[in-house]
Amino acid sequence: MMPDLSQVGEAETKEWVPDNTAPVVMFDNVSKQYGRINALTSISFALSGGVTGVLGMNGAGKSTLFKLMMGKIKPSAGEVKLFGQNPWKNTAPYARVGFVPEHEKMHDWMTALDFITTFARLHGLTRDEAEKEATRVLNFVGLGDVMLKQIGRFSKGMRQRVKIAHALVNDPELIILDEPLQGCDPLARTSIMNVIRELGRMGRTVLVSSHILHEIERITEQIVILHNGRLLALGNSHAIREMLDQHPHKISITCEDPKALAKDVIDIEEVRGLSIPYANNLIIETQHFGVVHAKLPGIIVDNSHKVSQIDSPDDDLQSILRYLTGGS
Amino acid sequence: MNSVWSKLDRKATAIAEFTMRQYRTRISTWVVLGVGLGSMLLVALFYADAMNTQIEAIDNDQDSYDWDGDGYPTGQEIIHGTDPYNSNSYPIGIEPDPREKWINEDDFNWDNASFAQISKVGYDDDGDCRREGQLVSQSQKDNNGDSIPCNIVLIYSNYSQVLIISSDGNVDEDPDDEKYAKEALHRAFILGVGKMGIVYLLGIFLPLFLATGLIRDEMTNGTMHFMIAKPIARGEILVYRMLGYLGIVWPFLIGLCLLMSLLTGFMGPSESFFRLSDLAIWFTICIAAMLVTLVYGAIFSTFGILWKQGVVLAIILAAWELGMAFVSVLAGGDSAIQKFSVIGWGLMIVDAGAAMTWPDMAMFIEMGEWVGKQSCDRSTLGDECGPLIGNEPLRFFSSGHGLGVTNWVAALIASLVLIFQAAAAWFIGQSLFKGKEMDD
Repeated sequence: MMPDLSQVGEAETKEWVPDNTAPVVMFDNVSKQYGRINALTSISFALSGGVTGVLGMNGAGKSTLFKLMMGKIKPSAGEVKLFGQNPWKNTAPYARVGFVPEHEKMHDWMTALDFITTFARLHGLTRDEAEKEATRVLNFVGLGDVMLKQIGRFSKGMRQRVKIAHALVNDPELIILDEPLQGCDPLARTSIMNVIRELGRMGRTVLVSSHILHEIERITEQIVILHNGRLLALGNSHAIREMLDQHPHKISITCEDPKALAKDVIDIEEVRGLSIPYANNLIIETQHFGVVHAKLPGIIVDNSHKVSQIDSPDDDLQSILRYLTGGS
Repeated sequence: MNSVWSKLDRKATAIAEFTMRQYRTRISTWVVLGVGLGSMLLVALFYADAMNTQIEAIDNDQDSYDWDGDGYPTGQEIIHGTDPYNSNSYPIGIEPDPREKWINEDDFNWDNASFAQISKVGYDDDGDCRREGQLVSQSQKDNNGDSIPCNIVLIYSNYSQVLIISSDGNVDEDPDDEKYAKEALHRAFILGVGKMGIVYLLGIFLPLFLATGLIRDEMTNGTMHFMIAKPIARGEILVYRMLGYLGIVWPFLIGLCLLMSLLTGFMGPSESFFRLSDLAIWFTICIAAMLVTLVYGAIFSTFGILWKQGVVLAIILAAWELGMAFVSVLAGGDSAIQKFSVIGWGLMIVDAGAAMTWPDMAMFIEMGEWVGKQSCDRSTLGDECGPLIGNEPLRFFSSGHGLGVTNWVAALIASLVLIFQAAAAWFIGQSLFKGKEMDD
């Protein structure tokens, strides 16, 4: 699927605020092994403030990273610190942390308000305080009008937002979201992304994991890339995008008459190559993905081409990782 | 201090309430509680049936027979000094008694038993020991040699165990079978259903179904992540989840014991409208069941933390506990091995409670046996002898606590041991839980 450019939000321009005290999240040479399998190898980084996307394929170590932060597992080596404290067997940091687990399963029999109120009380709030807080966070994620409905009746996107509300109770300074966009429809994605961006604007430290680059790009430009348990890159997504643009990029178009379309497309200056691997399919090669992508709709409409699908087989994490690891 | 407590209290009630609501939304909870209640009520039906069935009166001393065929039953001939085996010897000028008059004609008069070392009881209701107006010497009426004719001497060990019953002969030898049987069956039912039904079966099956998944189910579902992401220690989660579990199980047990105490209180044999004194035994059954469900709950939830298939460990323990329950019921306090169990201590509380509720229990069992033995000794028919009806089930389900202390102290010790066991199980459970890597 092509990235939906109309929904790209404002870039996260917030500077990283240097913290005089301990960083919000600190990994110092952390490794985690399961038997002989290395889930994470020598991870070191420190984060304070702003939204950071954690990008990686399935099994790259994103969840392991988060589990270490949430004190669910113990590092095999190295040190994990939240606000300067080790979270293993120590729940003190969680007064300032909100966590959105990847798990689908929730307490479906509860209403959203009940669910959030119950867990808000674990912050030491009274029943009334907790209910007020629950109402606040549910309104924040846009579920204020359905908060008295059972979670079991919610759509996937609404459930994700309940989970986010659960994490936002007590106004945490660090919010960790494990694949919050997975399985959501475009509308839900947009609203969840807005919530995450808003949190970043509010000065919170936010970590979002995903395996889809353009999703993360719409939320933040600060990214951490994990690959095979190693920290591959930590930096600005523009730099990564530039790196990508210098590599040939493919656009695959499924249409009725690829030959006719090829004749029209060849006029675009940035197109470097064309091929028709099989009937009804045209592959465009370019080093300027953005430019070609912007010109395509006009050409298709002007010449009344019947196009059923536009894909960008290269625009996925796999190819980025290939470039980054020095592959083809 | 105030804020520490109130924060703890907020978290505690939040999780306990949540846990109770979770139980209430599960059909399985209601099935388990329903089956528990139903099975106890089913057993109560047999009790109600027994209490409403006429027990056949037995001529325990066989003096209602007219052996010589002269029309006079043996007992009547004995009190008039004629020969019951000679048809030419019978009381003259006296109407022969109907046979029924010589059945159940000499009931127990043991109410004045003092449970001291030596107790003198019994009264010869039918006069076949006193044989007034006959030339019988005092010493012939005083076989037990306590200088009192026609009585029974009871010699006790410590802690109310009857060692010797020494009768002058023909005293209290043909008691009211129905009266004894109903009392014995009543007590046997309370002990049987209390010990094996409520304390053992419900005591182990409610936790097996309700507590094993207390932590494990949440871990398997992935819903535990919501809880452990909050600033609350895992040891606390376990305690508060336990509180929620007890919030379901304890009211159920209290209600069940109350219901059963009303049933047996109204239906049981009694001279008054309601057997008020039996409330004590039901109270101890309830306490024992509550403590046992606490200990098993803590152990089984720990098994659940330890291993995904924790229920397997729970079933293995339940089998051991079943064995110990039988050891406790059969051998009572005489067996030391039951002390290596939960149920052994639980049943000890009931045994102590039974001894408090029915201080005459040991004597009551002995007298049913003693009459039977006497009746067998003199029997010529063979088939109509043996302990009084109700004696055997009561003997089976009744046992002493065997701690060698008074009943109150025994109940207290057993309760403290159970609380200690629960605390130890919780301690192990919370340290396992704390060090558990939640990696799914």
